[in-house]
Amino acid sequence: METMTHGSVAKGEEELVASEYLTFTLGSEEYAIDILKVQEIRGYEQPTLIANAPAFIKGVINLRGIIVPVVDLRIKFNLGKIDYTPFTVVVILNIAGRVIGAVVDSVSDVISLTPAQIRPAPDFSGSFDTKYILGLAAQDSRMMIVTDIERLMTSADMELIDSATE
Amino acid sequence: MAIDLSQFYQVFFDESAEHLAAMEALLLDLDVENPDPEQLNAIFRAAHSIKGSAGTFGFTDLAETTHILENLLDRIRKQELGLRADMVDAFLETGDLLREMLEAHQGRGVVAPSTVEAVCARLRQLSADAPVAAAAPVAPVNVVTEVAVDGDKIRHLFDIEFVPTAASANGGGVANLLDELGLLGELEIISQPEAGAGDVGFWQLRLSTPAAQDAFAEQIDFVADNGAWRVFEHLASSPEVAQAFGLFDDAPGGPAPDEGYGFFAPLDEPSVRQEPLADGEGYGFFEPLPAVQPTEEAPIGTPDDGEGYGFFAPLPVPVPATACVEEGDGFGFFEPVLLPPAPVVPVAVPDVPQEAPSLAVAEPLVPHRAAKANSATAGAADSSIRVSIEKVDQLINLVGELVITQAMLQQTVEQMQASAPERLVSGLTQLERNTRDLQESVMSIRMLPISFVFSRFPRVVRDLSGKLGKQVELKTSGETTELDKGLIERIADPLTHLIRNSLDHGIELPEARLAAGKSPFGTITLKAYHQGGNIVIEVGDDGAGLPRQKILAKARERGLPVSEQMTDQEVFSLIFEAGFSTAEQVTDVSGRGVGMDVVRRNIQAMGGRVEIESMLGVGTRMTVRLPLTLAILDGMSVAVGNQTYILPLSYVIESLQPLPGEIKTLSNQARVVQVRGEYLPVVVLHEVFNLKSAWTDLTQGIMVVIDADGAKAALFVDALVGQHQVVIKSLEANYRRVLGISGATIMGDGHVALILDVSAIAGMAKSNMQRAG
Repeated sequence: METMTHGSVAKGEEELVASEYLTFTLGSEEYAIDILKVQEIRGYEQPTLIANAPAFIKGVINLRGIIVPVVDLRIKFNLGKIDYTPFTVVVILNIAGRVIGAVVDSVSDVISLTPAQIRPAPDFSGSFDTKYILGLAAQDSRMMIVTDIERLMTSADMELIDSATE
Repeated sequence: MAIDLSQFYQVFFDESAEHLAAMEALLLDLDVENPDPEQLNAIFRAAHSIKGSAGTFGFTDLAETTHILENLLDRIRKQELGLRADMVDAFLETGDLLREMLEAHQGRGVVAPSTVEAVCARLRQLSADAPVAAAAPVAPVNVVTEVAVDGDKIRHLFDIEFVPTAASANGGGVANLLDELGLLGELEIISQPEAGAGDVGFWQLRLSTPAAQDAFAEQIDFVADNGAWRVFEHLASSPEVAQAFGLFDDAPGGPAPDEGYGFFAPLDEPSVRQEPLADGEGYGFFEPLPAVQPTEEAPIGTPDDGEGYGFFAPLPVPVPATACVEEGDGFGFFEPVLLPPAPVVPVAVPDVPQEAPSLAVAEPLVPHRAAKANSATAGAADSSIRVSIEKVDQLINLVGELVITQAMLQQTVEQMQASAPERLVSGLTQLERNTRDLQESVMSIRMLPISFVFSRFPRVVRDLSGKLGKQVELKTSGETTELDKGLIERIADPLTHLIRNSLDHGIELPEARLAAGKSPFGTITLKAYHQGGNIVIEVGDDGAGLPRQKILAKARERGLPVSEQMTDQEVFSLIFEAGFSTAEQVTDVSGRGVGMDVVRRNIQAMGGRVEIESMLGVGTRMTVRLPLTLAILDGMSVAVGNQTYILPLSYVIESLQPLPGEIKTLSNQARVVQVRGEYLPVVVLHEVFNLKSAWTDLTQGIMVVIDADGAKAALFVDALVGQHQVVIKSLEANYRRVLGISGATIMGDGHVALILDVSAIAGMAKSNMQRAG
């Protein structure tokens, strides 16, 4: 395995241009999402509840005059302890013209990955929904789940967007 | 440096649409038997303005069609032709065509050339029917062609420089000049004064025209400051064809301007001119009307002058030029455009508002100048500016943020209580008042009089009543009632539908009306007024009224749950159900049963509601209630568990703490509360929203009685918190619709509070009751 630090960026020229990813942790798992979808990162504040919404939709917050729904990905993916500490962060995403907040345990760093570095995820044969997973990326000893955050957030099971019939 | 005219296209489209609307309104208002000359002139001016700007912007198809329209209008105006009802129809049709052409130029829709040709032919036909048709060959499509017919033409390239007088610049003289020059040929503005200076300053223009310099020299002289103008001709301009009136180029054609002016302004000319100016009609711009006769009889002997429209097509036809050589006097008549010179301001005044819109064509500084022009003429008409709606919305948003911040400060100070310095408290009180005033003023920017919508209905009624063979009169009142622009746009379609419905189903045929002992003329009344925080729009007719039995029978047929015990209001509401129609036959006007449900849905989407009152044989009245604005709402904040919700105040009737004996249950499921002898269904909000209430017993909390669309309900909440003006924020922008929630707002402490959808909640109460019952 070649070194996957800065050397790979230069090498990326012949592959494809490397993109930057924001990595965050949910419980013990580490995820990476396209940084261009991230608008900002802010601390967690108690949102206003939305009646009869699924548990992973924590509610809505006021982001400088915009009403933004907040999703707790830990609840959605059933990961880790669900507690809200001063270190709990909300990643504000800008997806498909909408602003959505996602609660994660912590944000790790920003990394560059070339398409070649993102390996296809093994087939879990239905036991695990891989359609939102672009692949797995390894860096040093870490394994990151590269997620198609746009597809995830706009999917019907996130219940964030009215279905087309509405 | 050429100015990119395309940046002004939108202004042109807007203005032309306004002119068309004005023209249509005037046409509909016109008394065919005895037309008011003032109205005819106004119609003519509207057509002329459209033609002028269309020509300037190079929309030749528009200009050509309008030109034909204008010719006919002009002949009517000069009483060469009598006005007939079919002409009004043709004009209206032409107006529609022009509107379609405008749309087509904006990339919406296509206009078939055959349609254009048909309308033009019809107008020509009408024009040819003239009693004085002897000298009237079919009007050529535009004057340029006529020039060509007349022989030969050459395009001259003139460089024009001038400094306008302050008076004429402020009076819109420069813009008029530019308009007129634009009509002569291709006009290019090479340099113009600074935006802030009005039009006063140095202007440099380049004009490519088949006309001779004399055609416009005089107009420039009128506008220019004491001879401060110059015209150079580029002889390099390649002649397209040999030219008939080369005479002018060779001899006095390139004369020093002063000479030219002196030459063409014979002494007796002013007296001719005085005549039209003195009659104060304000159309001095176009040409003295009395000049017509001499023109027609003038022994010029050219074939095409009989029409006399050379006046209006400001392209100076060579014919007049010849005439001018032959007899100096004649020139005055043929002068295509007579700019009212600055000294005759009193006469020019009526024209200022009229002309103000066309200033936009010439340059972007309209608002400023229009305002200035108006103040100069002692506010002759309302001055207005054109601002993009985004700017206004941004302003409204910013003010909304300001209100939130102010509320936040207010709350902080309230928490400090006695320890707050007095100056801080009084300063904040001041701030509160100022922000409220500011908010109101800003909101009022978006407000438009409802006449914007009402003005289209005379046409709808006219067309439709003709088609249905009914005699209907439309009466409107309260046109000045102001409504948010967003609502104005959205209310037009539902109202049109209600009016069509009244016309088709409400008003009976004349015979039926006579048989019922009513006047054969049906009346549709359209009324708008304020009531509380709402705008109320009533569409009433004195027609047959709604047949209760028929509606009930139809509803049973369709399997809707109905009973004889239903109130009239409930029965009439059935016509808003999808697919519901009692019409015996489907016409192309209405009767398919689609529409009324869409009407109701649209109105509800605007936060409004619609009610029907009707009496058999007497008439029907549909009342639409709309909130004043979509952006701000007076709300009552209520606590439910640890959450705060906002109830729109307009729905709240009262609030009370129930006594134990007043709450009853139905089938041990639904609860009702007795309020003043009335049993109201109870909606327990914390149950609806799955929250934990502070109270276990309903008598500990507060019941808020709400009235949504005539359905009353009592909302059980933990406590009343306060009353606020809240800025409505969309929840759907980033999230989705939530049942029972109509939107969100931001409270003083920066938290989000959800706004309750009272209609939906009242609906829940109703369905609860039905389940229990």
